[in-house]
Amino acid sequence: MANADRRSFDDVEVAAPSGARPSSALEEAAERACASIAPTWPLDRFIAVNPFWSRTDKPLPRVAGELAALSGARLLMPRSWFAAEWRAERLRPEHLRAAITASGAEMKVKHLSGLLRIEEPRQSRRPLAVDVMDARCRRELEVSWRDYIMERVSRFCASYFDDGQAHVRPVREGGLYASWRSQVEGDRGPALFMALPEIRSAVASLPKSADEMLTVAAADLGVPPAEREAYFQALLLDINGWASWCAYLRWNARLAGRDDHHIRELLSIRLAWEWILFRAGGEELRTDWGHAVASWPTFDRVAQSARAEDWLLQNAVEIAWSSEVRRMLAEGFAASRPSTPSVQAAFCLDVRSEIYRRALEAQGDVGTIGCAGFFGVAIEYTALASERARPQLPGLMAPKYRVTDTGVPDSLEATRASRLHAGHAWKAFKSTSLSSFAFVDAMGLFFAGTLFGETFGRAARHADEHEAAGLTPAEDAARKPRITSRADGAPLSREERCALAEGVLRGMSLTRGFARLLLLVGHGAATRNNPHASGLECGACGGHSGKVNARAVAALLNDADVRTDLAARGIAIPEATHVLAGLHNTTTDDVSLFDEDAVPATHQRELADLRAKLERASGAARRERAPRLGLGDLSDPDVHAAMIERSKNWAEVRPEWGLAGNASFVIAPRERSRHVDLAGRSFLHDYRFQEDADFAVLEQIMTGPMVVAHWINFQYYASTVDNTRYGCGNKVLHNVVGGHLGVYEGNGGDIRIGLSIQSLHDGERWVHAPLRLSVFLEAPRAAIDGVLDKHPKVRELVDHEWLHLFQLDARDQTVFVRRGGVWQPAPR
Amino acid sequence: MVPHDLPSVALVVARLVPAILVTAVLFVSKRSPFAATSAATSAALGLSVVAVVLHALAPGPTPRGLVQLDVVSSAMLLLVGALSIVVVRYSRTYLAGEQGLVRYARSLLLTLACVTLLVLSKNLALLVVAWLGVGVGMHQLLTFYPRRRQAVIVAHKKFLLARIADLCFFASLVLVDFEVGSLDIDTVNAFARASSGLSPPLHLATVLLVFGILLKTAQLPFHGWILQVMEAPTPVSALLHAGVVNIGGFVMIRLAPLMSRATFAQGLLVAVGLVTAIVGSLVMTTRASIKVVLAWSTIAQMGFMLVQCGLGVWHLALLHLLAHSFYKAHSFLSAGAVVDTWRAGSLVRPRRLALRFVGAAVLVVGLVAAPFYAAFVLSPLHASPSLGPLALALLLSFVPMIGRALAAGRRALALAAMSMVGAAVSYFGWHVVSEEVLLPVDAGAVAPVAWWVVVAGLVGLFAAQTILHANPAGRFARALQPHLHSGLYIDDWFTRLTFRLWPPRLERPASTSRRSSVTLEAR
Repeated sequence: MANADRRSFDDVEVAAPSGARPSSALEEAAERACASIAPTWPLDRFIAVNPFWSRTDKPLPRVAGELAALSGARLLMPRSWFAAEWRAERLRPEHLRAAITASGAEMKVKHLSGLLRIEEPRQSRRPLAVDVMDARCRRELEVSWRDYIMERVSRFCASYFDDGQAHVRPVREGGLYASWRSQVEGDRGPALFMALPEIRSAVASLPKSADEMLTVAAADLGVPPAEREAYFQALLLDINGWASWCAYLRWNARLAGRDDHHIRELLSIRLAWEWILFRAGGEELRTDWGHAVASWPTFDRVAQSARAEDWLLQNAVEIAWSSEVRRMLAEGFAASRPSTPSVQAAFCLDVRSEIYRRALEAQGDVGTIGCAGFFGVAIEYTALASERARPQLPGLMAPKYRVTDTGVPDSLEATRASRLHAGHAWKAFKSTSLSSFAFVDAMGLFFAGTLFGETFGRAARHADEHEAAGLTPAEDAARKPRITSRADGAPLSREERCALAEGVLRGMSLTRGFARLLLLVGHGAATRNNPHASGLECGACGGHSGKVNARAVAALLNDADVRTDLAARGIAIPEATHVLAGLHNTTTDDVSLFDEDAVPATHQRELADLRAKLERASGAARRERAPRLGLGDLSDPDVHAAMIERSKNWAEVRPEWGLAGNASFVIAPRERSRHVDLAGRSFLHDYRFQEDADFAVLEQIMTGPMVVAHWINFQYYASTVDNTRYGCGNKVLHNVVGGHLGVYEGNGGDIRIGLSIQSLHDGERWVHAPLRLSVFLEAPRAAIDGVLDKHPKVRELVDHEWLHLFQLDARDQTVFVRRGGVWQPAPR
Repeated sequence: MVPHDLPSVALVVARLVPAILVTAVLFVSKRSPFAATSAATSAALGLSVVAVVLHALAPGPTPRGLVQLDVVSSAMLLLVGALSIVVVRYSRTYLAGEQGLVRYARSLLLTLACVTLLVLSKNLALLVVAWLGVGVGMHQLLTFYPRRRQAVIVAHKKFLLARIADLCFFASLVLVDFEVGSLDIDTVNAFARASSGLSPPLHLATVLLVFGILLKTAQLPFHGWILQVMEAPTPVSALLHAGVVNIGGFVMIRLAPLMSRATFAQGLLVAVGLVTAIVGSLVMTTRASIKVVLAWSTIAQMGFMLVQCGLGVWHLALLHLLAHSFYKAHSFLSAGAVVDTWRAGSLVRPRRLALRFVGAAVLVVGLVAAPFYAAFVLSPLHASPSLGPLALALLLSFVPMIGRALAAGRRALALAAMSMVGAAVSYFGWHVVSEEVLLPVDAGAVAPVAWWVVVAGLVGLFAAQTILHANPAGRFARALQPHLHSGLYIDDWFTRLTFRLWPPRLERPASTSRRSSVTLEAR
């Protein structure tokens, strides 16, 4: 009890000093509701998140039912989609049978396939006070209260959280709620626009603090205590985009050891609107509201049962894919470790690497390795002259080390800073109220040239001009990003550097058999005029290109001191091994190399050979990707030209397909999968459990890369099954909010999370099939169980059906599946 | 070819431009909706260039007829041609995979054909009819996603305003015809030039005309529709903001001789335009989403253009119209890149523009500008009365830039000063060009007080923005920000009024549906 009290005290620290404290039960309900919202990252580091990340403590079908009742969300494709899979014979009776068997349900295959002919039931969500108001007002001819309140709250949040768009913002002192309250007090809009003058008096009596609001509303609205948490959840889900943004602020604060309560205040704001309508709506509304609240359990019950059987269809579609992968992987059980090639290339585990790695391996005498794209070093990057560091690592982690630009004269820092400041000054001329008129007169006609340049002269354009802002091309090229200190600025000891290097190599199970050239390949995308560009970049590098990570780590591994110390730790990198950094451009499939001048003369022949192989591999990878981009009919050089064109075309909304199609994750030595064409649908991570004495690497992979892959997988899943709530809609309507916070679809509404339609759908069909991730792990079952027991959050993912976990048993030549906490041989 | 035939050849070629665009409507196919569109716009731009060059070779009197080609229509024709080719090529890639592209391509062609016809019109009736056609085509484009509630509500509002504007134009035409006996633009202008003052019916006609133009140019309080049409694809926004909303300005310029004598109408233009420019440009700096910022910017810029019309500096209004079109088309089409801009801009934080920097900047700008200004005034080219006030506005415009740079240090200041000089040269350079090439100045009878009102308004705007920026948490900013952010509730009031007068017919939304989005269901 004492513990609980202390926690609630800590949580209240953000609240205004005056006013009643909410009761601890109420407090807890609000806190749990807030904790149920997953974060969303801003557009400049748009990494993938499972939007249900805080709900994995329950089985997915149950979460689907709950969300359907709370927000009307749809977590399954419509039956017509399953029917299309059935007609295309990708979904067959044996898959349905397997799904029924696995579930233990009593059902015949034809009963399940019969479902494909019936349209799914329409989902209804629990009514909120706004809905009661809407129903009562019968405003079907006009803007609904629900839309209007969403619009007002969203517009306010956009201004409050704005970071670089507006010049004039609402005052932030006092916090989100206080700022909103002072804004809404003077706001004549609602009374005027919605023609409900009674609102003014309700607004005038709004409580002073967010906590007080919570208490007052809870008392007045009469929601039963047991329903409070669900009610609060429904309110947050009603403004899920901004709630997710606030959850991001909290996530970041907690990574840094602080806390953040914006989400609590957002809840109070949304609750305040319910309360305002309740107060302004009169006696009739109060009666209706009482009935609505009483009906909630019915909504829950209906939502839970409505599509329960459809989950068997979902399972069956996943079985169709995983049984195929299983069959192919099983063919690799006999494969043994290949001899050391002359070049090894380590790629990000990203599904796009799978295509490229196959293409590169086909060139002969090249071995490839899959690992996390940040190579396991938790860095942040402070670019030359930059005042802030940007994290270049997965969103689950906090940075520990800092990379800075070296190799340029010290004076360049001040030069770049002043150029950037001059850029800001120019922007002030462009966008300040008065000067915007003079700007147009002076500069407007020159934009005719820019317009035509973008339309006809794309050759001269570059995708990531912002990276080199304030630098000439030569100055930009001279920069060498290196790990220079710890994130807090403290110097890095020799021992720490060695430990870092050891982590990199053990993480990719590369501790012996080093080739003469070891290539570390980061990846990045090249797109123009694309608000979600960073979503195509390396998620493991925080939604940035992996160039900086690859270069910094390569330099670390070439360090003579590090190598000496590594040898002492049992990893002997031969003197003849040189580590080289590269970047895989996933839009064009070109691979560029860095720091080539540091390659010793003895390796020049290998280097030339590698370049030739990379070029051929790029061509082959492009050829494989071309049909999906509608470029299948072109010749090789034309495909290349067309892909470059796409990467520079400012109107291109489908520059590449990103990670669409992702459905499996193979964590095993490469020889298990090397013979298999996984069609760019599989994440790949190299792992040799024999070299992982205490299974520390296994633990790291299962808690790191596996979770990240699951996040990506579920971002795609959720964006596909319910793009309205978990995707960001149509790209051609996108409207960037606050400089980089997110997008509106169109004029306003909630800020949108997730992926756009254009990332998932080619205009005729879904390019991404929403399948939960099938993870294939080669490690002893006991070791896997050990990690799962140690990390309940990861165990939940497996046991609550958020992903499927298979074990590759090379000794028994069998594939096992973990279901309901028990391993069993996967049916053939 | 006999030289004196050239003008009529130019006209024939010019006539082909709308003809080709409208003919292409028939050739839009479902398989490649943009093939015919692309070919037609390329041909239209090519023909426009030919016509303009032919006209430039032999600038003679315009033959009788319904169309004409002079400097103004040449400039507009080239503008529309350039925009159309950019917008079509953009749409072709951008909208790939969308449903309803045939309707889109046809509406786009229709709109462009009407705009080109409009800029070529020599007759007011034809001009108004073409304008009507622009409205019809634009309405189709703006409701490209007919299932989006917001899009439908806004299109309704816009439709309503457009019809009121049409009524105004129609009444105005009747009055003009009644007074002048012709709707031929040259005849009307000649009539105005010849008369010492306008008759009351003509005053009424010009006021009606201006009122209609205020509606169509998104001036306060009728601006709401342009803010909310982001529910249509980006290239539609670009076309609307760069090629359609400014037609009102073009019509004013076209009728410059008449308008120069229409004191009341000019007064209305200055008053409404100035208020719109000031309010719009302030609201612009409070909004947080890029397309809404751009829309408020358009509202303000259109206000500024109409002020220029009201002051009788027609050449500057035309310059502003053209420059704004290219600028705004680019801004919309590249609106996705704000994140990249943000990334570059976030490397170093901009320095706060404290009051002492503003003061210093005023000094710096004054010192730097004085010799240039003197040289320019003393040059034999220019002695126009507009120069003083405009130069003052320009100098104040440089203050935020120089202030920011001052706050950031010496080297940034040097770079910013260079930018300032460049921008100033460009500013006056374009003015010289517009004054010499574009249009003979026909200032008419603008009361000097109008200039003073405008200057006072712009200085007031400068003061307001300075206070808002220098002390964003101060009393003034606190009091003003919420109201500015809500656009002073003008549109709330106006929308309520339209709903009351003429409610839109919308399908009743399903109880579970949120703001409806395009739902792409797999079949």
